[in-house]
Amino acid sequence: MAHPSQLGFQDAASPVMEELLHFHDHALMIVFLISTFVLYIIVAMVTTKLTNKFILDSQEIEIIWTLLPAIILILIALPSLRILYLMDEINDPHLTIKAMGHQWYWSYEYTDYEDLGFDSYMIPTQDLAPGQFRLLEADHRMVVPVESPIRVLISAEDVLHSWAVPSLGVKMDAVPGRLNQTAFIASHPGIFYGQCSEICGANHSFMPIVVEAVPLEHFENWSSLMLEDT
Amino acid sequence: MLAVVRKQLRSHPALIPLFIFIGGGAAMSLLYLARLGLRNPDVCWDRKNNPEPWNKLGPNDQYKFFTVNMDYSKLKKDRPDF
Repeated sequence: MAHPSQLGFQDAASPVMEELLHFHDHALMIVFLISTFVLYIIVAMVTTKLTNKFILDSQEIEIIWTLLPAIILILIALPSLRILYLMDEINDPHLTIKAMGHQWYWSYEYTDYEDLGFDSYMIPTQDLAPGQFRLLEADHRMVVPVESPIRVLISAEDVLHSWAVPSLGVKMDAVPGRLNQTAFIASHPGIFYGQCSEICGANHSFMPIVVEAVPLEHFENWSSLMLEDT
Repeated sequence: MLAVVRKQLRSHPALIPLFIFIGGGAAMSLLYLARLGLRNPDVCWDRKNNPEPWNKLGPNDQYKFFTVNMDYSKLKKDRPDF
């Protein structure tokens, strides 16, 4: 989950998010290097006493400042495109879950084997237990087995919503009348929080998403319990 | 036109990397756009003979330009036929 005065990304809980983190570090390092270099040049230009008013052109420096930026851009573009294609791969999911956005809650359907469906409302602030997170907790979490590729089919029943879990590196718009697909693998057990990411009315900020990754046995027990309850 | 460019390049060789990168970038973009137009199953050119190519997707076909971890030819078809 997000921390107060957090600057960077949340810790990665899926392989895709790890790749995104590393790419962000790579690109940010390049950006810092270029900015430092430009700042140094500016300071050097402003504080030097050496001037030459008669330079007309120089082929060598023009070659350098064409070649170097082009190489830097290629070094940024290749990892970026690789991650782009990696994110689009749906590698043989073990489970398909449908996440439907409503005003103002999410509903999850696990219909691969039995008909399991439930709604997930935010826990209001006055009902929180000690230790729970304000505006992030939900009454029913979306439980998934850990280390399994999960396919999530996302749509909406009324207005636009967006299903996002930053630590899993997942965000997909929920469009009424359209079925969007995304996939993720939870690398380790844990609880991962996200919030609706498309303005959808008065309680847009109050319909969080909570994904709980558990070992497969626990997932099977949970789904049997949920089926009995509903 | 090309003769003029060649003459200018001889006196300003710094323009050669520029031509290479800009030309290469434009060529790659145009090639990818052509690939999207011709190979993408969402695009229909021939309304009489091939009206809805998006209905003919195979379980083993790779439609993206590049795959990092997936070998689509190794997938098995596990859906019923229509």
